[in-house]
Amino acid sequence: MPPAEDLDRLAQEAEELDGYFSDAPLDPKPHYPPLRKTFETSVVITNLPKVPQAKLEKLTNVVVKLTTKIGTLVTNEATQFNGVFMPFDEEKDSSLGFCIVEFATAEDAEKAVTVLQGYSFDKKHQLSVLSYSRCQQLEGLDTAAEFVAPTPAPFEEKPNVAEWLEDPHQRDAFVLRFQNETVVNWFDHKSDPVVDYDGSREKEQGVAWCQYYCHWSPAGSYLATLVPDKGVILWGGKGYDKIGRFVAPGVKRVVFSPQENYLLTNNDDPSDPAAIKIYHIATGNLLRAFALFPEKEARDAMPPPFLWSFDDKYLARMGQDLITIYESPSMRLLDSRSLACDGIKEFQWSPVANIIAYWAPEANNAPAHVDLIEIPSRQKLRQKNLFNVSKCNMVFSPTGDYLAVKVTRHTKSKKTFYNNIELFRLSQPGIPVEMLDIQDAVMALTWEPNGSRFAMIHAENPTASKVQVSFYDMMKKPDALPATGVVGAKQLKKVPQAKVPELNKIETLQGKQCNYLFWSPAGSTIIMASLGDSASGSIEFYDVDSKTLVVKEHYRANQVLWDPSGRTVATCVTQPLEGGHFKFAMDNGYILWSFQGKQLYQESFETFYEFEWRPREKLLSKKDIKKVRQNLKTYEKQFDKADRRRERARYLEETAGKRAERAKIRALLDRNRTLLRRQRDKHLALLQGYDSEDENNYVFVELTVEKILSSKEEVVM
Amino acid sequence: MRPYLLQGHERPITTVQFNHDGDLLFTASKDLVPSVWRVENGERLGTYNGHKGTVWDLDCDRFTKRLLTASADTSCRLWDVRTGECIFVFNHKGPVRGVAWAEGSQMFVTISDPFVDHPAKICVFDAPEDQDPSTYTDPPRLEIELPKINGKVVKPTHVHWTALNEDLLVAFDNGQIRLYDPETGDLKEEITAHEKKINRLRFNREKTLFITSSADFTSKLYDPVDLKHLKTYRTDRPVNDAVISEQKDHILLGGGQEAMSVTTTSGKVGKFETRFFNLVYEDEFGIVKGHFGPINALDINPNGRSYASGAEDGYVRLHFFDKDYLEKKDPVPEEDEADEDLDVEDEEEEEKAAE
Repeated sequence: MPPAEDLDRLAQEAEELDGYFSDAPLDPKPHYPPLRKTFETSVVITNLPKVPQAKLEKLTNVVVKLTTKIGTLVTNEATQFNGVFMPFDEEKDSSLGFCIVEFATAEDAEKAVTVLQGYSFDKKHQLSVLSYSRCQQLEGLDTAAEFVAPTPAPFEEKPNVAEWLEDPHQRDAFVLRFQNETVVNWFDHKSDPVVDYDGSREKEQGVAWCQYYCHWSPAGSYLATLVPDKGVILWGGKGYDKIGRFVAPGVKRVVFSPQENYLLTNNDDPSDPAAIKIYHIATGNLLRAFALFPEKEARDAMPPPFLWSFDDKYLARMGQDLITIYESPSMRLLDSRSLACDGIKEFQWSPVANIIAYWAPEANNAPAHVDLIEIPSRQKLRQKNLFNVSKCNMVFSPTGDYLAVKVTRHTKSKKTFYNNIELFRLSQPGIPVEMLDIQDAVMALTWEPNGSRFAMIHAENPTASKVQVSFYDMMKKPDALPATGVVGAKQLKKVPQAKVPELNKIETLQGKQCNYLFWSPAGSTIIMASLGDSASGSIEFYDVDSKTLVVKEHYRANQVLWDPSGRTVATCVTQPLEGGHFKFAMDNGYILWSFQGKQLYQESFETFYEFEWRPREKLLSKKDIKKVRQNLKTYEKQFDKADRRRERARYLEETAGKRAERAKIRALLDRNRTLLRRQRDKHLALLQGYDSEDENNYVFVELTVEKILSSKEEVVM
Repeated sequence: MRPYLLQGHERPITTVQFNHDGDLLFTASKDLVPSVWRVENGERLGTYNGHKGTVWDLDCDRFTKRLLTASADTSCRLWDVRTGECIFVFNHKGPVRGVAWAEGSQMFVTISDPFVDHPAKICVFDAPEDQDPSTYTDPPRLEIELPKINGKVVKPTHVHWTALNEDLLVAFDNGQIRLYDPETGDLKEEITAHEKKINRLRFNREKTLFITSSADFTSKLYDPVDLKHLKTYRTDRPVNDAVISEQKDHILLGGGQEAMSVTTTSGKVGKFETRFFNLVYEDEFGIVKGHFGPINALDINPNGRSYASGAEDGYVRLHFFDKDYLEKKDPVPEEDEADEDLDVEDEEEEEKAAE
């Protein structure tokens, strides 16, 4: 090959390639969008239905619709990715029952985990949502390894919280809060109260005993003392051992569930998202926290309270047009939805069944109504429509058999008000409702704790100084049957006549001065009290069966508290712990009365805040109670004897103490007298020799007084 | 028995006092005229006219011859009990709060409030019975000035001589009790007995015990020999006066809601009753109602059969004890007495016999 040709060709090639090369260094890396190294924006939704190819798109769309409510999804038009990746098994022609959702932000992903958790997708599928990173953790889980059960923590014996019920003297207990003291006392219903525990151990150790109010649990097992800096402490057992501590800064109030399983604490702070806390007492676990007001609720009024159902199963709170019901122990919304109650103003649980009663005023052409709803079926048991209603007050009888609704109605002009009472019989089929029409204003209505009777205070106007107290019975003794031949024969059999469910009035007491009624827990006795600052403080004990009345007085009393047995009642003058005011400063203290109105004990304090009887569960069955009734005489003798023995022991002890005190004073007086006696000369000198012991300084006058003691006239024959 | 209602004063009563023999009752009031009454029938025997201000305190001597009165008109006057004549006027620099004869009735002590520049004072005057009253001297034999404590005026409220005129026992409105030497005026001892003002301080006749009454709702019993606190009697109202019964181990307390706040509360709040306490056991066992203003003064007759109470309502009530009070025994039986009933063992035996 001639070299010239070669050179030409090379030059030609160089010309062709000119421009292809540059002096700048080559950048081998392509420009990709920034790579996210974590998967924090992705969540995995499991428990989805498994669907065939045909339905896959529909399912995907539903998931997209659901998740876009929470936040924006990541989409890519080029790849047709809509943010939800649904894996599919081609062989089985079925989806795998889960999907991966990618959100635009990590916050939305987090929100999805909490919001969609437990969401009922359809009847069979409840979603379970995990963050993607959590799935990665779970991936590493060694499922092949054998499961080793963790060793249970060693058994720790808890104090017997029912120990106090075994008190050999069958005494009742009460707690007092006065000055800086919190003292639990025993009371045997006869002699003076005896201190059971006053927090001396805690005081010695310098730890918190009680710094605010204290409360008994519903069956008296625990004493909860409030320490606002920290929370709530539960005490129980013989020596008042610390049983539990529940963190609740700023706690103002506590509510036990009726069966003592849960504890609700409240610090009344509207800005705290965890103002209300629910604790499980046995484990001490915090189950759930709530804000003081439900969402959307107006914040100017009182926050709606949480109410427990009688068996601890449900916890409910009223919201706007709804009641939210939480199930224990998960504290999740029951069936994941609230109970819709349009216009609800107030609701109550029945004390013996899972029935909610609520009332709503007139709205949108619908009348006002009282509804009874069974939980969890949400079945409406009874609805009662009412007209011209301005307010309702609902009162369940403690036995749960009846519900009284005091209806305040207005006339058409809406200027004058009057009351009537709607009475529901819950224990009868169909729940019949009776109406009791009273034109008066009703100030108070209370049910007899163990019977079918109720009492109420009423007067022509609510400001009247003299009021009437009326007693009604929901059950009526049948009238004597007419004495016709046939019926007469029946009567001879002496069939015990069962009471019939018919409302009847027992009696009305006229011209009373009272503003509160308190039935004894044993029934039959009721206290009509006039409480408050401007009231007379009269305490009237009335026995509805024997119609005996005893009137006593406790000036400025503001509380009446029956003991759980109905033997003793306490009347107290207390003042609030916070915001003390001079008008409270006087007469603080309490008086204990027998149920017949005899004063048993009285104690005064400079400042007195709280009196609370230790509640007691009814442990005896009806049969046992009957047995006790039959053998009452034997028991009576036993108890009388025990009482006397105790009384004597107490008397002897007290007398010995008093004698010692007396001897001390006498010895002191003797000493002082002897001292003066020794200096008697000095004393006489001061009196210029006058000696009051010298008989010559006295003039003796003898007087004879004759007095006819009796006279008798006899005729001498 | 119904009490005598002595209606002679037109203004609140400040003090009442029986004489040593228990047949006369002296009363003082804010209405300027101290009076003397016959205990037996409650008639007024006479008045001592001359003061131009509230009469805060009075004291009658051992033989009921000469009476001393202390008044807000800055004077202390000496009177002839029988004739009602004023024997001498002892002028002070401030209102005179209290006066007390020394044992033997030849000298006496007064306490006066601070007034303008003059501090509160305790003064001892001589007034020998056998000396011509016109030669008595106004300047006292001894004058103890009471300086302010921490810039606060301290007012004496009541004064007494201890047995045999050994010390002056003075109560103060800051709750203190002090002992002064009546010769030198030296402060011998000082204790804080109450949290609030001590209204009155009283000995029993033989001066073996004394009792304080205070606005802090309590009365306290003290041993005068070593100023030891013995007992406390608690009520729920300020105590204005307390006396030790001469014949029984009882204490009488009088007081009630302060006069200035009575009008703002209803009648029941006041608790204007005389309260009876057991001296030893500190428990209240009885009350006597009747006044409708706080009780300012109490005294019990040395013979133990009657007592008098004077109140803000201007009345003096002269009560005579019932038979069952006079025969009342100590609630705790003496050791040699058999213990009462309640014999459980006997009952058990009875039960066995019944079976």
